[in-house]
Amino acid sequence: MSAIDFSDPSTIALLADALTAAGVSGLEISRPGGQLRIVVAAGEETRIDVSVTARPDSRGVSPVVVRAPMAGHFCPGHLSGSAVSDSLPRPVSGSEVLGFVRIGPVLLPLNAGRPAVLTKRLAEPDALVGFGDPLFEIEPQS
Amino acid sequence: MIEIVETGPFNTVQDLGRQGYRDIGVSASGAMDPLAVRIGNLLVGNDEGAAAIEVQTFPFGLRFDRRTIFAVTGADGAPALDGVELLSWCAYTAEAGQVLELRHPPSLARAYVSVGGGLDVPAVMGSRSTSLRGGFGGNAGRPLVKGDRIALGDSADIVAVPASGLAVVEPVVALRDVFPDFVDGTLPVRALPGGEHALFPDDGDAFWSQTWKISSRSDRTGYRLSGEPIKPTTSIEMRSHGVVPGVIQVPPGGEPIVQMSDANTAGGYPKIAGVIECDLWRLGQARIGSRIRFVRSTHAEARAVEQAVARYVEDVRNTSAMVKRALRAMA
Repeated sequence: MSAIDFSDPSTIALLADALTAAGVSGLEISRPGGQLRIVVAAGEETRIDVSVTARPDSRGVSPVVVRAPMAGHFCPGHLSGSAVSDSLPRPVSGSEVLGFVRIGPVLLPLNAGRPAVLTKRLAEPDALVGFGDPLFEIEPQS
Repeated sequence: MIEIVETGPFNTVQDLGRQGYRDIGVSASGAMDPLAVRIGNLLVGNDEGAAAIEVQTFPFGLRFDRRTIFAVTGADGAPALDGVELLSWCAYTAEAGQVLELRHPPSLARAYVSVGGGLDVPAVMGSRSTSLRGGFGGNAGRPLVKGDRIALGDSADIVAVPASGLAVVEPVVALRDVFPDFVDGTLPVRALPGGEHALFPDDGDAFWSQTWKISSRSDRTGYRLSGEPIKPTTSIEMRSHGVVPGVIQVPPGGEPIVQMSDANTAGGYPKIAGVIECDLWRLGQARIGSRIRFVRSTHAEARAVEQAVARYVEDVRNTSAMVKRALRAMA
């Protein structure tokens, strides 16, 4: 039996339609290679919470993890090939694009949301990531 | 409503053009890079043919007077919203009072600003494109000037765009397999032999083998090319006949003219070739002074490129809609 490709947008659309038709509010599938979470819309405005604060380190700085807003392929930097520094740590502005989650031709930009120091990249380029997977670690600057 | 706060000359409202009136002498007009307009509109949730602003002279700025979803596509370089740099090919939400600025792009020619709901200017003969020569369509038939205010249509998509934006892999990257890259700084433009190709010696070799430069006498009507003049083996008198964007004519001086979006509806110069329709957007993004070289194509290749572009647009349409639905659901 061939495995279902849960990164295929048409598969996700099919599952979403099936959930809607069945009146089921959501579905979460976890596999070693990735995680898929589908929640039927409640008609509210889009909010993506991609940051989770971790415990403070020995310096009293609380690192923040930037997480995947939805399932897709992780792309650090820009696909057009513009140079992105790999040297970490480095300071980043709140609006600077750290990378993307790519779903087919669509890109969801990832940023720190506040001035910070980018300390770690937590996923490999082009890795299939699931909703909420950690992608970057940053240290917010006051 | 948006207000133009800064603009150079010849920036206009354009959509995908006014098709079907060439027989009565009405040029199609429409965006010089229609692919950028289609993708920009899909990003902001419009029909792909909604009217957008074509910016070909910079800097350009506009102010939003209500919360608006927008995207800047086409040219390279980064637009800025209230001074904060943004991505091109990415939809964002602007708040009332915010100012979008477009600076001179590093290498390409034309940027397009698409807004949720589209620009609500009157449709004339089925299109909202500006016909500069006709003086109708778009924003009162003329280029935009500082202080112009343009109404926007209604948009239902505004809740679907996250604060960090919703972008696409731009065509030049997504379609790199079907659009050949620059060769030594020269843009390859695919073309098919035209009606009078046989009039030119050596199978048109002088036309196909040399590098042409887009001269400063180029505009939305046509690109005049500079290079070694080419001459037909015999001079002929031709009656004027219909021409369309992409047709390459050779006037008596021997330097070709490529008809572009505001193409004349008829002309009498010999036609040596025609640019394939799917390469016209790349030509539309080529700046005055840039070098191009024509590559002999086939109908089969032109069709294959057209199909690849159609698949990309369809993929953007379906996937962006699915991602927006998913983002709403996860809110």
